[in-house]
Amino acid sequence: MADTKKEKKLIKMPYERRKGLYGYGFIALWLVGTLIWFVYPLLESLRYSFMEVKPEAGGMQGTWVGLDNYIYVFTGDQNYSKYLLSVLVETLWKTPLILIFSLFIAVILNQKFRGRVFARAVFFLPVIIATGPVYNIINGDISKSGAASAGQFSTMFSTDLTGELFQFLGIYGISDKMQMMVETVSNNIFGIVWNAGIQILIFLAALQNIPVSAKEAAQMEGATAWEYFWKITLPYVSPMILACLIFTVIDSFTAPDNLVMGRVLDMQSDWQYGWAAAMAWIYFAIVLAAVGLITLVMNKFIYYEVD
Amino acid sequence: MAKEKPVIASDGTLVGGGLSKKEIKKIHMRNMNEKEIAYLRRKELIEKVWPVSRFLILFGLCFIILYPLIYMLSCAFRAQEDMNDPTVMWIPRHFTLKILQQTWQAMDFGSTLTNTLLLNIGCSLVQVVTCAITGYGFARFRFKGKNLLFGLVLMQILVPSQIIAIPQYMEFRYCLGLQPLIEKLSPALGAKFNLIDTPLTMYLPALMANGIRAGLMIFIFRQFFKGLPKELEDAAYLDGCGPFRTFVQVMIPNAGSSFLTVFLFSVVWYWNDFYVSSTFFTKNNTIALMLKNLNTRLSLVLFNSATVEVSPREQILWMEAGCLLAVLPLLIMYIFLQKYFTEGIERSGLVG
Repeated sequence: MADTKKEKKLIKMPYERRKGLYGYGFIALWLVGTLIWFVYPLLESLRYSFMEVKPEAGGMQGTWVGLDNYIYVFTGDQNYSKYLLSVLVETLWKTPLILIFSLFIAVILNQKFRGRVFARAVFFLPVIIATGPVYNIINGDISKSGAASAGQFSTMFSTDLTGELFQFLGIYGISDKMQMMVETVSNNIFGIVWNAGIQILIFLAALQNIPVSAKEAAQMEGATAWEYFWKITLPYVSPMILACLIFTVIDSFTAPDNLVMGRVLDMQSDWQYGWAAAMAWIYFAIVLAAVGLITLVMNKFIYYEVD
Repeated sequence: MAKEKPVIASDGTLVGGGLSKKEIKKIHMRNMNEKEIAYLRRKELIEKVWPVSRFLILFGLCFIILYPLIYMLSCAFRAQEDMNDPTVMWIPRHFTLKILQQTWQAMDFGSTLTNTLLLNIGCSLVQVVTCAITGYGFARFRFKGKNLLFGLVLMQILVPSQIIAIPQYMEFRYCLGLQPLIEKLSPALGAKFNLIDTPLTMYLPALMANGIRAGLMIFIFRQFFKGLPKELEDAAYLDGCGPFRTFVQVMIPNAGSSFLTVFLFSVVWYWNDFYVSSTFFTKNNTIALMLKNLNTRLSLVLFNSATVEVSPREQILWMEAGCLLAVLPLLIMYIFLQKYFTEGIERSGLVG
C-alpha cells in the first residue's frame, strides 16, 4: 500500500521538481568527487593546523595543540610575516598596474590596423607559457643575465636605463621616492606584461560588446577619444574590471612562485605539516577577505546596463 | 560632424559635381565655426601621429613578450664557447645541435613526452566531459541547495591546491583508508594499494570533475549553457526527450567550439602543472617536472664526469634548450589553434 502511494507521488510530482531531481543526477559525479578530493582534504588540513602532526604508517598521527601553530607562525617563524607583508604589498601595487595596462592594451588592440591578429596572438602567448616552470626559468634567467652575465643584456633590462633617462631629463635626485617608483615599475614591466594575457582578452571582449549606438552617439556629439574613453568605454567595461580584478588577485595569490606559498612548501618538505597548514590557512583567510572586500567596494562603482 | 566628412569625400563626385575632394573640403570648412575647425584639425593630427606611436608601443611590448622565446632559440643552437664570447649577442657564431641533443637525452624527451601526452590529453578529455555535465546541471536545473553547492565550486576556484595537497597525498597513499584494512588481511596485497606514482592520481580526480582548475571549467561551462536559448531544450522535452538525451543530442552539438576551447585550456594547464604532479609523482614523469628539476638532472646525467667543465653561465644554454623543448609542443598547438584560444574565451561565455 505504502509502495503504490510512493509511486503515485513520484508521478504526481510537479514537473519542475522532477526536473530538479535530474539536476542532482547531473552534478552527482562532481559532488562525490568534491567530497572526496576537496571537502575532506580541506577539513583535514584545517584539523592539521590545530595539531602537531607526524606522518606515520596508516596516516597522519597528531596531538591537539590548539592555537599553538598559529601563534608560532607569527612569533616563532622569522620569515613568514615578512613574506606575507611583501606579497600583500606587491599584490597591492601590481594589481592596479596590471589592470590599467591590460585595459590600455585592449583598447589599442581593439582598433583596426595591420598586423592586429599577430599582435593579439603575441599578447595572449604568455597565458600558454607563464603558468609553468618555464616561466620561472625565463624569469630567473632574465634577472640573472642582467646582473651576472658580463653586462651582455644589461642594456635591455637594467635599472640604469631609467636612471640615465632621469639624468638626461635633469630631474635626477629631485625626488628619490618617485624615481624609485618609476624604476620598480619599469623593472617589473616583464612581470606585468606576462601576467596580463587573460585580462587583455577579457577587456577586449567587453570592448567589442559596447553597442554601436553608443559609439555613434558619441561621435555625433563630437567627443574626443579622451572623453569617449571616460564617458563610454569605462562605464561599459566596468563589470569586467571587477572580474579582472578578482582574477588578478587570485592569480597572484595562488601562484606557486609567490613567497608565502614557497614558505608553506618549505615547511611541508620539512615535515612540519601543522605549521604549514596554519600558514596556508592564515593566507587563505586573507585572500578570501581581500576578494570579498574588493567585490563589496567595486559593486558600488559598477555600471550595469539595464535591458 | 566627424562622421559626415568621409561620406561627402567618398562620393564627392556626386555631391560636388566636378569639384575635387580638396575643394569640397574647403567649402565644407567655410561653413564651420572655429570650434569645429579646431576639432577637425586636432583629429587629423591625432590620426597621423597615433598609428606611429601605437606601432612603437606594440612593437616594444611584443619584444618584451617574445624576448625569452628568441633568447631560447638563440641559446639552443649555440656552442658552449659562444657563451663566453662577448660579440655573440643573438646569432650564434658556432651553430650546433649538440646542446639540444644532450638536453633531449638528459630529459629522456621521447618517453617523457609520450608519458605527458597520455596523461595530459587523457585527463583533459575526461575532465572536459565531466565538467560540462556538471556545468549543465548548475546552469539548467533548479534544485535545493544549488546556491550552496555552487558556492563550493567558487571555493574550488579560490582555494590554492597547496592547502589540500597533503591530505590528498594521504588519500592516494592509503587508498582512501582502504589500505590498512587490506594490509591486515594480506600484507602483499596491501602493498599494491598505493596509488602514488600511478597515473590514477591524475585520472581519478579528473574523472570526477575535480582535476586541475576544474572549478574554473565548471564555471565556464555553466556560463556557456546559461547563454544558450531555453527554447532549444523545451522543444526537445516536448518531443519526448529525457534530460540526459537532451543534453547529449541537443546541447552538446551546440557547444562544440566551447568544448574545444576548454579542452585546449585544460591541456595547457595540465602541461604546465608541476605542483600537483610533484606531490603525487616521485619520479620525473612529466615534462613540467623534468624541467623543474632540470638542474639536478643535468648535473647527474651530463656533467657527472670529471672531464666536463661547465660554468654556471654556460649552464644557461642547457636550461634554455630544455625550455625550448618543453614549450615547443604547446607553441605548435598554439600557432595552429590560436583562433580557438582567443575567440573561444569570448564565445565560451566567460565574459558577461
